[in-house]
Amino acid sequence: MKVELTVNGKTQSMQCEDRTLLVDLLREQIGLTGTHVGCDTSQCGCCTVHLDGQAVKSCTVLAAQADGSSITTIEGLAHGDTLHPVQQAFSACHGLQCGYCTPGMIMASTDLLRRHPDPTDEQIREGLAGNLCRCTGYVNIVAAVKQAASLMRAGGKQSA
Amino acid sequence: MNTATFTPSRVEDLRLVTGRGRYTADWNLPGQLHAHMVRSDRAHALIRGIDTSAAKALPGVVAILTADDVKAAGYTDIPTGAPVKTADGSMQVKCAMPVLATDRVRFVGQPIAMVIADSARAAQDAAEQIMVDYEDLASVTSMDAARRPGAPELHGVAAGNLSAVALAGDEAAVAAAFARAAMTTTLSMDSQRLAVAPMELRACLVDYDASADRYTVYTPTQGMLGMRGSLSQISGVTGDKIQVIAEDVGGSFGLRGGSASEQALLMLAARRLGKPVKWVSSRSEHFTSEWHGRALRLIGHIALDAQHNILAMRWDHQADLGAYTCYFQAFIGTRNLSVTMGGVYRIPALFAHQELIFTNTAPVSAYRGAGRPDIAYAIERLIDQAAAEHGIDPVELRRRNFIPNDAFPYTTANGTVYDSGDFDGTMSKALVMADYAGFAARRDEAARRGKLRGIGFGCYLEASGAGGAPKDVVRAKFAADGRIDVFGVTGSSGQGHETSFAKIVADGLGVSPAAIRYRASDPSQELVGNGTGGSRSLYGAGSACKMLAARILELARPAAASALGAAPDSLQYVDGAFQTGSATAEATRRIGLLELAGRLARSADGGHPLDCEGEAVSGATFPNGCHVAEVEIDPQTGVTEVIAYNAVDDLGTVISPQLVQGQVHGGVLQGAGQVFGEQIIYDEDTGQLLTGSFMDYPMPRVGWVPNIRNDYNPVPTTLNALGAKGVGESGCSGSLPALVNAMSAALRSRGVPPMNMPFTPARVWEALSERAG
Repeated sequence: MKVELTVNGKTQSMQCEDRTLLVDLLREQIGLTGTHVGCDTSQCGCCTVHLDGQAVKSCTVLAAQADGSSITTIEGLAHGDTLHPVQQAFSACHGLQCGYCTPGMIMASTDLLRRHPDPTDEQIREGLAGNLCRCTGYVNIVAAVKQAASLMRAGGKQSA
Repeated sequence: MNTATFTPSRVEDLRLVTGRGRYTADWNLPGQLHAHMVRSDRAHALIRGIDTSAAKALPGVVAILTADDVKAAGYTDIPTGAPVKTADGSMQVKCAMPVLATDRVRFVGQPIAMVIADSARAAQDAAEQIMVDYEDLASVTSMDAARRPGAPELHGVAAGNLSAVALAGDEAAVAAAFARAAMTTTLSMDSQRLAVAPMELRACLVDYDASADRYTVYTPTQGMLGMRGSLSQISGVTGDKIQVIAEDVGGSFGLRGGSASEQALLMLAARRLGKPVKWVSSRSEHFTSEWHGRALRLIGHIALDAQHNILAMRWDHQADLGAYTCYFQAFIGTRNLSVTMGGVYRIPALFAHQELIFTNTAPVSAYRGAGRPDIAYAIERLIDQAAAEHGIDPVELRRRNFIPNDAFPYTTANGTVYDSGDFDGTMSKALVMADYAGFAARRDEAARRGKLRGIGFGCYLEASGAGGAPKDVVRAKFAADGRIDVFGVTGSSGQGHETSFAKIVADGLGVSPAAIRYRASDPSQELVGNGTGGSRSLYGAGSACKMLAARILELARPAAASALGAAPDSLQYVDGAFQTGSATAEATRRIGLLELAGRLARSADGGHPLDCEGEAVSGATFPNGCHVAEVEIDPQTGVTEVIAYNAVDDLGTVISPQLVQGQVHGGVLQGAGQVFGEQIIYDEDTGQLLTGSFMDYPMPRVGWVPNIRNDYNPVPTTLNALGAKGVGESGCSGSLPALVNAMSAALRSRGVPPMNMPFTPARVWEALSERAG
């Protein structure tokens, strides 16, 4: 079947099997390997991307379902050389070790901060409940989300 | 936030937060084929035949490999690791796992065949058409079942499913101590079977270059040489023909020291088919067929005199090996448990009786600490249980029995030499951090809200790894861009070696860390060294990095002297530059190391005169600490909240504080995963794996231990050049006992007898309900 979608601002049209998952389309056909696969039951969140602005697990979306949509992956989050505040905060707070869950964590955190610009611990816990990390113990991930929130609020005030 | 102005915490971070890391599954080569595995769906069965005809006929299928192909290629079984000596002086019975099952399968998930096709989906479709004709056999999936008289046996050579009985320490001395003890306590503790579960799935891509007869193997590993060595052992291909590439590795935790079936099969396939072949595991395959961790039963006995001095400890351990002998497993259930079996205490008599047992389950190998957190857990839980049974304050019992500071170096009753420590000082610091004095009031306040509060200690000590290689060597190559490339074989799987090793070299040279690039894998592949494991990579390869910096300066000094027109011995080295020791600042002549390097002529083959190697021999060290956990249980629901977690560790010299803290956090939470949720369960009747996905296997999630506070009481070791003791596994060794002791204390207040991990809400609620009922 034919699928047309905008990925990180670039509109693409391609052929794929009906059963193709969005994550496989991104990784194998478009070559965006920053989106990772860590399970086969939609539990780990490594494959989280934004579909029309909302975080989704791209292993649970058929490529066909994304037809006509706009997708942002980890590769499209920074603006040129300027890292997104969430990317910056994950590094600054040492919220990553092996880095495998990190793209999904960052995409989920970005969506979480869109919904809750000043999140409580409970909101962070809920917002990242679907993302697993085996390395960090999560303490620094929570710190990163909070630091990103404050960076983004400060950035918002500056531009306003 | 511009990357030009933003400095990442680690060298690795920029690529990892932007999706530009390269994990194994991210690699693709032109013309590559794809593989899919056929695995046993039986726990124990004879294979009567394998029908591949329907699969072969499917479009896209290129080849199907079975045990016959493995045999024809001359490949041998999966390496079994060093054997242990049994009580009667013979060696353990080892039963190696075939690369592909021949006439019998012994666990659900065992590899039977590999299908290779032009796409991953075609390979999977074909794999589902392969018919295996099984004749079922009775299975044993627990150690109790395996040791029952008349139990089905996995291997003809291992009577009673016993691989070995190994002893450590002095049985007679322990028996004598128990005979005169004023009080004794016995406790049986399981350290349940776990999935290692790094987030990156196992994957491998092999390219064979026929003209050079060389294999390039892309696969996640924690040790270049371990992976290459095991591939060489299985395939018979010499190590110099195998290049292992692992740029980014998504976690290891003990799992990725060597090759399993799939990597070796891909070598075979790539050579035979003349094309690169790629295989990427599913998470479900990870659960069924990759090595599991822990799977130990530890039964502890402690003897005290009337003044509560510990007279002796005796251990009766059982280690579940799974269906086959593999890699580190014999060590885990024996040496790694016994080497520190007295923990931080002065104990005159120690003895361990250790059984290694085969069951129809996935083979067990290393998982974060590989027996060391398990024994730390068991010792500290036994101490608490003894304190509770005999009405002693658990802090006082510990304090009375700590090895005192003036006793170092201290030789334990079973011959281990601890070089240094300050156990009382470490616990005292932790007690202040945790406000132990205020605990009773907090417990009473919680009780008024109907909650059960408990506090628990884990005064752990572990023996970090001595390493399998005789030394660690790193090599410096001065690059054309003015920077120094440092190569080693110690690869990161999240630890941040590119940052910390570069920092050690940079600090030694007095130059910016940005001038140093560390990479695990020297193109020439001649270096020796250890992989990342046993908490040893920093003081192993890191010490070699420190020696490397010294060697570079030694080589540079004569060149600097001639550039500055001074005698070599008269030069001082300050802030990255050689300078003359002149009387006035104006008269001082300087030349920076990197500038000097840029002026020196290269040899015909491009070599630089300052290129050199640094090496270090670093033995085991003894990281230790005191972790204090405070929990609150809601008896209405069985749900536990970790209220506070305070850790004071003696990790020796700390090189990169942020990275060390990250290791502590991660280790603590892996312990919490085992304490509160994780458990691999097999069905006893069918031998089927019941916890085969993240839906059935509770991984620790954000918020499980929300407030980890940590501090240090460092006593630098003299056993390596850095003074560091290692950190990788200490978090786990502290958190298992601290959290379980806190849970046990809270539950004991309601009369709940000792229970095993995991403390899931259902199990906690059930235990409380039984007491109430």
